[in-house]
Amino acid sequence: METIAVYWESRIKTYGFQGVNDLAFIEFSYPLHEMRSLGEILSNDELQALTPKFIMAQELDHEISFVFCLPGKEGRDFHVSLEKTSGPSHHRYIYPVGIIFFHGPHFGDRYGIADATFSTLSKTDIKIIASGCSSSSVFLVLLQDDIAKAEKVLAQTFDVAK
Amino acid sequence: MEKLKIGGLKQSVELCQFDLKGQDSSERIVSGVSKLLASRKINISFLTYNPNRNSYHRFTFCVSQDESLSSSKILKEEGSLPIDWQVNCREHVGIISIFPRHSAIRILGDIMVSWAGQSIPIYGISTSLSAISFVTDYQLIDKAIEVVQDLFQLPDNHAPIRPELLYYQSTNVKGD
Repeated sequence: METIAVYWESRIKTYGFQGVNDLAFIEFSYPLHEMRSLGEILSNDELQALTPKFIMAQELDHEISFVFCLPGKEGRDFHVSLEKTSGPSHHRYIYPVGIIFFHGPHFGDRYGIADATFSTLSKTDIKIIASGCSSSSVFLVLLQDDIAKAEKVLAQTFDVAK
Repeated sequence: MEKLKIGGLKQSVELCQFDLKGQDSSERIVSGVSKLLASRKINISFLTYNPNRNSYHRFTFCVSQDESLSSSKILKEEGSLPIDWQVNCREHVGIISIFPRHSAIRILGDIMVSWAGQSIPIYGISTSLSAISFVTDYQLIDKAIEVVQDLFQLPDNHAPIRPELLYYQSTNVKGD
């Protein structure tokens, strides 16, 4: 692989922050050996109307644990349908939550972005419900009331495009 | 049956995944570990954080396989983590990112079914603005990509799937 670009930015640039409110946080876990069954459930036509704003999953201890952030009503319906099934070994529902997400020109290829994000939030009383960083984006799931405050403090850390 | 159209497909370089699990001080751990990695100029390619799951906090991140040893050393340094925190290191993983135009749930379900049928593991998933990213074994990444290409229709003028260029922040500080 050839290196073709080297750059320097003293303050991490972002294209700005976007927030989505009125979301439901749904967490559920499945044994790893049921991955195929869960995939079949997710491929079901009835679920294709769902419009997730954020999905993440972690594999640990022979289980895969999913987080879905869905618009309020979709989230409630999904939560109810999960409660009726015997599959998930763990299930958690929080409403209302919001997500704040952002990306920048060098996200994905530079160090320090997670540090800037989590160090900034750790100096406040904002509690992170979940977070996922991939493909040059940072997503934070927070209590809905914390979204505006999070944007304000993060905007002081990052260089926000005008 | 017509294949579902997707916007693109991309694979990462070879990575190493660290899974951290513990009961206390999760936000201090995430900011502390991120700070230590940044101080050694180590880029985090993928991260998921889920506190308060079954009273445990989980923090997972991927760094370049080349940075595996130095990252491991950081986590083993005294004071980096509380003693009750567990660290698991999974070497030689890679990320496949699928850029959906739509149908994120369908793509997720179809991949889970197909990869499970081929014994291709999924170690982590996260969506971003435009993609769904899956962490899997690096040695199986070509097979995983073949499965994805069989499942979905890529654009005719698709960009190369393997990374061809590497960008990094200079170690020389320049004025703004």
